[in-house]
Amino acid sequence: MTELAMNEDTAMQYIVVKIGSEQYGINIASVDNIIRMQKITRVPTAQFYFKGVLNLRGVIVPVMSIHQRMELEESEITDKSRVVILRIEENGLLGIIVDEVSEVVTLTRDEIDPPNRDSRSTKDSFINGIGKNGGRLISLFDISTIVDQEETA
Amino acid sequence: MDVSQYLEIFIDETSEHIQALSDNIMALEKEPHDMDTVNEIFRAAHSLKGMAGTMGFKRMQHLTHTMEDVFQEVRSDKVQVNSSMIDILFKCLDAIEGYLDNVKNTSNEGTDDNEALVKSLEDYLHAAEGGASAPEEKPAASTAEENAASTDAEQSGEAAYLSLELADEEKDAIRASLNAGQKVYGVTAYIDKECLLKAARAFLVFKAVEEFGQIIVFNPSSQDIEDEKFEFDFSFFLATAETDFDKIATAAKAVTEIVEVLGGEVDEAFLNGGKSEEAESVAETAPAVAQPAAQAAPATQEAKASGTTNAPATKNKPVAGRTVRVDIEKLDSLMNQVSELIIAKNSLVSLSNSTDGKGLTQQEATEQIEYLERITTTLHESVMKVRMVPIESTVNKFPRMIRDLSRKLDKKMELIMTGEDTELDRTVVDQIGDPLQHLLRNSADHGLESAEIRKERGKPETGTIRLDAYQEGNNVIIEVSDDGNGIDTEAVKAKAIERGVVTADQAETMSQKEIIDMLFMPSFSMAKTITDISGRGVGLDVVKSNIEALGGDVEVKSKLGEGSKFTVRLPLTLAIIQALMVEVRDEKYAIALASIETIENISVTDIKYVEAKEVINLRGVVIPIIRLDQILECTPEKEDDDNLTVVIVRKGDKLVGLVVDNLGGQQEIVIKSLGKYISYNKIISGATVLGDGGIALILDVNVLM
Repeated sequence: MTELAMNEDTAMQYIVVKIGSEQYGINIASVDNIIRMQKITRVPTAQFYFKGVLNLRGVIVPVMSIHQRMELEESEITDKSRVVILRIEENGLLGIIVDEVSEVVTLTRDEIDPPNRDSRSTKDSFINGIGKNGGRLISLFDISTIVDQEETA
Repeated sequence: MDVSQYLEIFIDETSEHIQALSDNIMALEKEPHDMDTVNEIFRAAHSLKGMAGTMGFKRMQHLTHTMEDVFQEVRSDKVQVNSSMIDILFKCLDAIEGYLDNVKNTSNEGTDDNEALVKSLEDYLHAAEGGASAPEEKPAASTAEENAASTDAEQSGEAAYLSLELADEEKDAIRASLNAGQKVYGVTAYIDKECLLKAARAFLVFKAVEEFGQIIVFNPSSQDIEDEKFEFDFSFFLATAETDFDKIATAAKAVTEIVEVLGGEVDEAFLNGGKSEEAESVAETAPAVAQPAAQAAPATQEAKASGTTNAPATKNKPVAGRTVRVDIEKLDSLMNQVSELIIAKNSLVSLSNSTDGKGLTQQEATEQIEYLERITTTLHESVMKVRMVPIESTVNKFPRMIRDLSRKLDKKMELIMTGEDTELDRTVVDQIGDPLQHLLRNSADHGLESAEIRKERGKPETGTIRLDAYQEGNNVIIEVSDDGNGIDTEAVKAKAIERGVVTADQAETMSQKEIIDMLFMPSFSMAKTITDISGRGVGLDVVKSNIEALGGDVEVKSKLGEGSKFTVRLPLTLAIIQALMVEVRDEKYAIALASIETIENISVTDIKYVEAKEVINLRGVVIPIIRLDQILECTPEKEDDDNLTVVIVRKGDKLVGLVVDNLGGQQEIVIKSLGKYISYNKIISGATVLGDGGIALILDVNVLM
C-alpha cells in the first residue's frame, strides 16, 4: 500500500477544541458550523447541562455546556468561547460550548490509539480514541455519547 | 418526442382527476340520477383520456376512453347506474392509479392492459346498444382488426409519397439537394386512427427526423399539418447525408401512435415521373410492413415491449411529487409583499440620492428600516404559509376506503369528516395518511359491531366513524372516533396476562388508561382473528411510532359499548399561530391567542386559597392560579406587586389563570421545534424566533389543566 492511498483511506480531519485545560478533537464530518457566543435562551426544566437554545439563521439549536455534560468545572465565557454546531444525522443540530477552537488536524489511523478505559471509574467516557499529533495528545470525542439520552433519564 | 418535462404536471393533474372521479363516483352511488355528478365524472374521465393520450400512455387512454363512453351512455340515459357498475368504476380508478404509480416510478405506464375491466365496461356499453354485438368480443381484437385493416390499406396502395404531385419548386428543391450530393428520402408516416393530437405526433416525427437532415418538402403543407388538416398519414421529403433509411424510419416510429413509416430514396428519375425504382425501394422496406400487423394486435406483448423500449422517455427515474399546489390568494399576497419591498427599496434609493447632499437623516433611516422590517417579516411569514397545505389532500381518500371496507366487512358504516381545511406543513400532511388510515381501519374492523348486534343494543344499524380535525393552540388535533363497541379493557387485560406483558397482580392495580395504553405496545393486536384489514400484530404501535416521529402523540378514550375515540395531536413544526407575548422576569414567552379567554388585573388581596392552592373568584367563577415564574423556575424570586397581571386561558370548559409580569403585543409566530436532544417541561411546546433574532418559548397551556 502506498502512503498516499493509506492517507486517503484512513486519515480523518479533526477540529481541535479546548475544554478546560484539555484538547479535544471533533470529527470534522459531524461539524456543521462554528459560531461566536450569542444570546442563549434558557429552557426551563431542561437537563442541567443544557444552557438553552439559540437562533442560528432561523433554526432553533439546543446548546449544551460541554463542561457540565462532562461534569467538569464550569468555566467562564470569554472572547475565545465558541459554539460548535454539530450536525447529527436525523436528529438535527446541536451546539456545544467550548472554550476555544484552535485548529484542524489530520490524523491517520496509526496516530489514533484506543482510549484508556479505567474500569474503576464510574464516570462515562465521552471519547473513543486518543490522537497523537506531534507531541500533543488529543482526546477524540465520541459524538454519539454526548447526545445519548438514556443516561440522562 | 420528449414529453418527460410534462410528466410532473401530468402526475399532479392525474391525481387530482382521480380524486375528483372518486369523490363524484361516491356521490353518484348515493344519488344515481344526479346529472351534474355524471357530467362531472364525464369531464374528469375525458380530461384523463386526453392527458394520457398526449403523454402517449395508450393503455391508460384506452381504459379512460371506455369509461368516458360508459358515461356518455349514462348521460343519455341509456344505461342505469347500479352498484355493480360503481364497483367496476372504482376498480377502474384503482387501475388508473396503478398506471399512475407505474408512471411515477418508471416514467412508463407499465404493461397491464386491464382487459377484464375494459371488457366489463364495454358490457355496459353493449347492454346500452341492445346487446347486438357479441359481448365476448374482446376490445383488443376489434382494435386489432381496425389497425390491421388500415395496414392492409397501406399495403395495397403504395406509400402515399410516391403518388404525390410535386410542384415545380418542390422538385427544384429536391434536385438542388441531390445535386449537392445529399440523399433525399421520401417518407410517409401513418398515425394511429385513435390518435387525438395528430399535429403533435407529426411535429414529433419531424423533430425526430430532422436530426438526420432537413425536411425540404411537406405534404400536406406544414401549415395544414399544424392545423391538423390531414387524415391519418402525412408525407415529407428529407434531404440528409444518412445512407441508411432504416435509421430514420426507426427514429420516426419511436414516436408513440405512429403506426408505420414507409419511405425510400428518391432520385432524378422519380422527379421525372418514373416510379419503377421507388417501387423497388418500397419492396425493400417490406419486412418493416410485416411489423405493423404484429404491432396492431395489442395482445402481442412482444411488440408492446419493443414499442416501449423504443420510446426515449423510458428513464427509470422515479418522479415523486415534490411540488406544492398553492392557493392563488397566498401567491397574490406574496406578490404584493414583494412589490412593497421594491417600493421600500426605491424610496431608500431616492432618499439617499436627494439633492441636499446630506444623505439620510437619522429619523428617515429609522423610518425606512422599520418599514423594511415590517415587509420582510410579513414576506417571511407568507413564504412559510405557502408550505402549509390543508389535510384535505390526505383525508379525502378515506370515504372511498370506508366504502370498500363496508362492503368487505359487510357492516354498514359511514364516515363523517370535518375540518379538512385544517392546515399543516406539507411534509406532515404527507405522513399522517398512513397512521390515520390505520386508525380508521381499526375503527371499522374492531370498533363497529355488526348490524345485528347494533340492533340488539339499540344503536342505529349504520355505524358512524368520525374524523374531526381542528387546531387547538399549538397543535392540530385529529380525532378518529366511532360509536362502536369500545375497548373491552377486561379482554385487553386477559390478553396482556396471557402474553406475559403483565402479571395478574399488576393487571389488577392498573387504571383503565394504563390498560388501554397497552394496546400501543408492539405486537399487541386485539383482533381475535387475523384479517387483512387490520390486526396483523403490527397495529397501533406502528401508528404510535409514526405519529411520535412527527413529534405528536396519540391518546385513546373509550367506553365499553359506546365507542372509542383516538386523539392524534400533532405539534405544528412549521405552523403559524397568533400568539400573545408575555414576559416573566426578563424572559419572553408566547401563549396561543386561541386559548386565551381574558386578561385581568387582579389585586393580590383577591387571591384566596382552596385546598392550599391559589384561586381567584372572577365574576363568580373560581379559577385556579398558576404562577408561571415558579413553573418555569425563573430567577430571581420576586415579591408580588400589589396588582398581578393574570392571563386567563381556557381548555374545553376549564379555566386557569397564569400570572405574568408583563404583557407584550399580539404577534403572528412561526412555531419551531426545540429538537430532540433537550428534554423540557411539557408546558413548552416549541419556540419561535422573534423579530430581533431572539427566541421566545411557546407555552402550551393545555398541559396545565
